[in-house]
Amino acid sequence: MLYDVRLELHYDYDATVHGGRHLIRVAPITIPGVQRVVAAGLSFEPRPQRESTFTDFFGNSVTTLTYLTPHDHLAIRLTARVQMEDLHPPADLSPTREGLRLEIARYWSVEPDSPHHFLAASPRVPLVPAITEYVEAVAADAPSVMAAATALCMAIHRDFAYDPKATDVETKPAEAFALRKGVCQDFAHVMIAGLRGIGIPAGYVSGFLRTNPPKGKPRLEGADAMHAWVRAWCGQHVGWVEFDPTNAMIAGPDHISIGHGRDYADISPIVGVLRTHGSHETTQSVDVLRVE
Amino acid sequence: MEMRNQKSKGKPPAGPSIIADYRLQPGIPDEMIDADGNIRPGWSQLMSAFDRLGPNELAARFERADQYLRDAGVFYRKYDGAEGKERDWPLAHVPLLIGEADWSRISAGLIQRAELLETVIADIYGDNTLVQQGFLPPELVARNGEFLRPLVGVKPVSGNYLHFCAFELGRGPDGAWWVLGDRAQAPSGAGFALENRVATTRALSDVFADMNVQRLAGFFRSFRDTLFADAKRDGGRVGILTPGQLNETYFEHAYIARYLGLMLLEGEDLIVEDGKVMVRTVAGPKPISVLWRRMDASFVDPLELRYDSRIGTPGMVDALRHGSISMINALGTGLLETRALAAFMPRLAQKLLGADLLLPEIATWWCGQPREQRHVLANFDNLLIGPAFATTLPFDDLRGTALGSTVPPDQKAALLERIRANGADYVGQEPVQLSTAPVYVNGKLEPRPITLRVYAARTAEGWTIMPGGFARVASTLDTSAIAMQRGGQAADVWVLSSKPVERVSLLPRDGQKLVRNSPGSLPSRAADNLIWLGRYAERCEATVRILRAYNARLAELSKADLPILTHCAAFLDTIDVDASEAMPQGLLASIDSAVHSAGQIRDRFSPDGWLALNDLQKTAQRFAERIGPGDDATRAMTVLLRKLAGFSGLVHENMYRFAGWRFLELGRRLERAIQIARILSWLTSKTAPDGSLEMLLEIGDSVMSHRRRYSVSAGTQSAIDLLALDPLNPRSVIFQLSELRAQIEMLPGGIDDGQLSPAAKAALEIETELRIAEPADMTPQRLDKLAADIGVLAGLVAAAYFV
Repeated sequence: MLYDVRLELHYDYDATVHGGRHLIRVAPITIPGVQRVVAAGLSFEPRPQRESTFTDFFGNSVTTLTYLTPHDHLAIRLTARVQMEDLHPPADLSPTREGLRLEIARYWSVEPDSPHHFLAASPRVPLVPAITEYVEAVAADAPSVMAAATALCMAIHRDFAYDPKATDVETKPAEAFALRKGVCQDFAHVMIAGLRGIGIPAGYVSGFLRTNPPKGKPRLEGADAMHAWVRAWCGQHVGWVEFDPTNAMIAGPDHISIGHGRDYADISPIVGVLRTHGSHETTQSVDVLRVE
Repeated sequence: MEMRNQKSKGKPPAGPSIIADYRLQPGIPDEMIDADGNIRPGWSQLMSAFDRLGPNELAARFERADQYLRDAGVFYRKYDGAEGKERDWPLAHVPLLIGEADWSRISAGLIQRAELLETVIADIYGDNTLVQQGFLPPELVARNGEFLRPLVGVKPVSGNYLHFCAFELGRGPDGAWWVLGDRAQAPSGAGFALENRVATTRALSDVFADMNVQRLAGFFRSFRDTLFADAKRDGGRVGILTPGQLNETYFEHAYIARYLGLMLLEGEDLIVEDGKVMVRTVAGPKPISVLWRRMDASFVDPLELRYDSRIGTPGMVDALRHGSISMINALGTGLLETRALAAFMPRLAQKLLGADLLLPEIATWWCGQPREQRHVLANFDNLLIGPAFATTLPFDDLRGTALGSTVPPDQKAALLERIRANGADYVGQEPVQLSTAPVYVNGKLEPRPITLRVYAARTAEGWTIMPGGFARVASTLDTSAIAMQRGGQAADVWVLSSKPVERVSLLPRDGQKLVRNSPGSLPSRAADNLIWLGRYAERCEATVRILRAYNARLAELSKADLPILTHCAAFLDTIDVDASEAMPQGLLASIDSAVHSAGQIRDRFSPDGWLALNDLQKTAQRFAERIGPGDDATRAMTVLLRKLAGFSGLVHENMYRFAGWRFLELGRRLERAIQIARILSWLTSKTAPDGSLEMLLEIGDSVMSHRRRYSVSAGTQSAIDLLALDPLNPRSVIFQLSELRAQIEMLPGGIDDGQLSPAAKAALEIETELRIAEPADMTPQRLDKLAADIGVLAGLVAAAYFV
């Protein structure tokens, strides 16, 4: 399936800023066998004085912008054409939780994809006892790791209300959990905290969702903005599986990935230190249209 | 058990009498007295020297060492509440002596260890074969807060990760030295070792000269030469990156910077452009190529490391990726301090060096391994139990680490359960039984447990070990009392040589060029602080003068509602000073601000200036507690005025006429011009009551000048002429403007090819207007505009150098 992705992010600063430096992570990446970027264009307005790209530890593509002159807004525009493979969810050949523990103990690697990076607390996802307790109850009868992750994915969708007004980008997983409300970022963080709490390695995926549903299917939640979901390591045989707790599903060809990390902090669309004290306002718009 | 020197041999001289009451601890080795009860050779020389000095002279000499440290302003920050307080440096006066044979074993062992650490960290951030081959558990890397993922694969431009390390050593019951911990992130204390040496030799110069003690300067010289050789590429700038004055060892950063001639830089002083690190100086951005980092790595770059760091430099990791800066030590080396890593070092030495460790380390069991976990659980009572990922030394970790047998019974079961459930988070370590050394307490010597901190630096010829360091001495016989935060002391370490030692200093050798830093190297932040120090000091003076005039009249008239007093109080109100308070909060705040600005630039002016400013602050705070308005306050203000003059004198007489002095001077002149213009306007306004002009002349310190120049009683015109327009009166506005213009023209970029900078233009414009003005022109409105124009001038200076 071929998609055209269009993203526009706009920041209006309260006051003129004298310069700034940003890291931008918004462009989809090619993942062999899963998705292929056919063409992509990323532009910025005003034009930065310096622009360069590098690949971060987890393999994500990062653009560095440097502004040396005063400006009062920043617009980021992305257009990309992405070929998605129509993959089916993997069969559940995953081990039990105890089996997974032994597999991890035998996994002698700290390569970027190693499950070891995704087990401990990370900058935005501390381990929260209340969430662990919730997951223990939800996954009590799950015979395998993948079944446990699926159960948690469904439970979050069932127990949490999608409410963009309830939380913001800084909301901590414990707060979203207590509210049982939030958006994709909150659900992903709660699910990651929960999976790690019971010993399943879990990370954060940032990306896009197809805007208009196929005929007869409902429009997915979060399709008009950047989206986030979860990847969980389900043992050597199955590997990493992506779950979308916002839509109670395993991520498929409609989930176009920008990249991943331990939590939002590793893959947030913009990291920037502005040399000013004013606040700023954000607007974003996203379109993901099926080409053929 | 009482240890006395062996008098039985019956021959004079008898053992030094100062150690007659020195009682050893049973079963614990002592540095001074050997196992047979004999005093060791170097110690006997030292103790005999103490005997010759006699108790009174010895006490006087130790006091001299303390006095030196106080005068030099040596302090560290102690955290006992929310805010750290500056404390005097706790010098233990008796140096720790280490013999030549012991020292060569320590040196060889630490050089081996530094090499091992380098190989380990290069593998962790490089090919990672140690994890893949099972020599390092992946959890110790992947779960480690000091494993900095953005640095994986980033090779240091110098080719090495480690350049400066420290090691904490202790002597065990078997008499051998053991490694208690590695400091590989940003080791502190080398500067304190220097200060200890200076203070101790000040007290014991004659003894020191007789004892063939190895010198420290050579170590610092070769490390400094290595830094500058590394920096040759662009412009040769080398800086120390400090977290700032709230850091517990900020004094040391400033001291080392001054001693080695390095720039003292905070994150804000640096910007990254095109992958290059630049220092923001008053002459524009200048490249820097080596940073000796005293800041924990995760704070260095808020873009790619800790997002909440407010002391970092955005883009620093990018600069490292571009290979444009050498970081001493590389970011990420803090991982080597992880306590659990100690459990793997012996095997790593075998694997990587093909040899055993020359210096053993305290046995450590990481509970992330089943067998080791069982060992720790079985021997719980006899082991130190602590966090596996801690980077503090076990006896510095007052909260997290405890001997199993001392864990309260009600917490023990829970702790055992946590170790079973999350073994990877815990280590068990053999408790440390440290040797003792003599410490001077109330005129006597007593044994106290000690540890030894030794420094290693990488030079062109390989690792070199500082022949000395500092010893930490516990405040009681309890080993855990070694932490300085718990009252421990620090002693100088004398490494003895069998031959006379060569004298070394940091002065250039023959044939070496003397490097003189150019005035343009003043960091903008330092310049900004200097301006504000000048402004606050001057603001204090102006306020004190007004308050003195006010209180003198209040004492005389004893009624606060007289027109002259209410008029004056209303003016004070405009500068946030409440005249009804004898020592107004507004004044105390200005003094605090001056101290704060000065504190950020301790490396830039004399210790005497700093002490004078602190004395002013303490005096003002004492006054605030006990003086009343009127007479009391008048006298208090006179005292403060004298102290302010003392501070200004010390700073102005002793400061090199460099860009730094110029900015301090600018601040002072700007503030004085503004204050005089404002009070002139206020006290010459139509509503100004009787007595205003006399008050004005008094505040302007111009009563005498007025009498001499006009020989009439004060009129508005003559007062304005003297205080605004007289170019010979050092308190007039025009005098300040002439000085300001001259100083601004001399700043970097002040005049470029005959073109005046905007600030220079503005200063010239205001000065010219004043030169052609007549006293009658200087209405209150015109004076207010003048004050505002000078405010704009201050803004132009800031815009040119600080934005």
